[in-house]
Amino acid sequence: MTTPIVEMRGIEKFYGRIHALRGVNLQVNRGEIVGLLGDNGAGKSTLIKVLSGAVPYTSGQILINGKEVALTSTNDAIDAGVETIYQDSALVPQLSIARNLFLGRELTRGPLGRLDQGEMNRVATDLLRRVGITKNIPPTTPISSLSGGERQAVAIARAMYFDSEIIILDEPTNNLGVAETQGVLNFVRDARDKGHACIFIAHNIHHVFQVVDRMVVMRRGEVAADDLSPKTSSIQDVENIITGEHLAA
Amino acid sequence: MTDEKTAAPAGAAPSRDFDLLRRLSATPELGPLILLIVMLIVFTSINPAFLSLNNISNALTFTVELGLIALGMTLLMTSGEFDLSVGSVFGFTAVVMWTLINSTELGMPLSFAIAMGVAILIGAVNGFFVTRLKIPSFLVTLGMLLVVRGSALWLTSGFPQRTWETGQQWLAEVLVGDFCIGGTGDFCSGGLRVYMSLIWFIVIAAMLHYVLTRTRFGNWIQATGGNPAAARNRGVPIRRVKMLLFMLTSALAGLAGIISSIRVSAANPNSGTTYELEVIAMVVIGGTALMGGRGTILGTVLGVLILRLMRNGIVLIGVPGLAYNIFIGAIILGMMALHSALERRHNEGT
Repeated sequence: MTTPIVEMRGIEKFYGRIHALRGVNLQVNRGEIVGLLGDNGAGKSTLIKVLSGAVPYTSGQILINGKEVALTSTNDAIDAGVETIYQDSALVPQLSIARNLFLGRELTRGPLGRLDQGEMNRVATDLLRRVGITKNIPPTTPISSLSGGERQAVAIARAMYFDSEIIILDEPTNNLGVAETQGVLNFVRDARDKGHACIFIAHNIHHVFQVVDRMVVMRRGEVAADDLSPKTSSIQDVENIITGEHLAA
Repeated sequence: MTDEKTAAPAGAAPSRDFDLLRRLSATPELGPLILLIVMLIVFTSINPAFLSLNNISNALTFTVELGLIALGMTLLMTSGEFDLSVGSVFGFTAVVMWTLINSTELGMPLSFAIAMGVAILIGAVNGFFVTRLKIPSFLVTLGMLLVVRGSALWLTSGFPQRTWETGQQWLAEVLVGDFCIGGTGDFCSGGLRVYMSLIWFIVIAAMLHYVLTRTRFGNWIQATGGNPAAARNRGVPIRRVKMLLFMLTSALAGLAGIISSIRVSAANPNSGTTYELEVIAMVVIGGTALMGGRGTILGTVLGVLILRLMRNGIVLIGVPGLAYNIFIGAIILGMMALHSALERRHNEGT
């Protein structure tokens, strides 16, 4: 049996008196796309924030490649190979594509810590081509000049450059057009085919069904189902679990 | 701002001339530069004495003292915060140094170090309240403005501190000593008297410009102000960035206050009152965004020159000094409209 690339065991999280995560277990394997579904307040965003090091968890264990890790900051998560692509793309509108790509991991040279702008631009140009942006967009273009799809492509390019083993996509298709959405879904499939593990969160359940291998549904801070396949489950089945209707049936 | 903010819009393939024009129009420093040139032409044409070496020397002397605070404020505002307590720190730091010199045996260098330490501590307290207790910098630094000003008045019973014992101190010479270029006599007749504070201003401006535009820390400052959530998610230590910038701004305000007190031989507990607003105006006129994310040291230098030369110029051409604020207000409104329009066009790629 292969070791899961990510294993979260008994994760508990309290926000003051609010019990946001109740002993959550989650496994993601190499080359697998897992869709994380749930209503607002179900706990999926909190779970993702825990895995990306953005919020500390109260108790539980996180193992990456079988080794327990302490994710106390986003830097810890990035170092552990976890890259998160957020709903708002986590980009800085005023900064250029290249500077956004390397934000927090800037390339520098010399004793004064001067940014290696030339190398950053060269890498950015190459990455833009690899994520399918064929238009001639200079890497010095500010993010504020890009369309929604191009911004997501930049965020995706960042995950590719740092060769993150685990890619979390938090509502990556929000506010995107049809063609741009397909571009993002294609990227997720490509990443899976290259052996990355992906966790895909989207409110649009149709997008989830198009791309994932397995679905995990959360409700009220707990995992309600974790082995749903888009091949054997219908959208209605999944919606019933999300809302708890299946319990009433 | 960055060396790359003016790149072509997504997907565009403009001609070289058009691209150059577009880059130029998107540069936040262009507006203030044109305004400064127009001011120089208008004031000089009405009163040629405006560009005399003597007048330039006088105008620059006080300009750079306020300018030092504006440099720190530029980085702080780029990170999305601002500091209303700088005027109080300007007055208080000098009062602390002179009180120590006058009432202890510490001597000037040690008193200077302690006073600067106090200024940095005030910045750290501001930073703590903003970054740890999540209180908006407007409220924190407004409170600190009153605390620090009140402390200065309490410490001195409202009276200026004696400062005349500094004359021969080497540190005083380093901070505010002057030299004459091309002139003669004690009054540097026919020449340009340059104070050391101008040299400090130039050196610090160059350093901070380098930091903001060419270094990792500069990238973090802009990211912290532009999208704090994104910066945090990428591992940028935004608390530390803001804390350091509050301390830097306070330190520069303290340094400016000490320089001013030595130059005018007076450490008045009320000095620096309302400087905070003038400094913020200088920074904003220069093209730094009030809400953070975009900052320019070069623009701030232009903003500093515009406001101080405006004050100097309107007096020289015979406009009542009391009308000064009308011009300043109009300039701020005009420059805000210009920066806003340029930014909109830039984002739209037109």
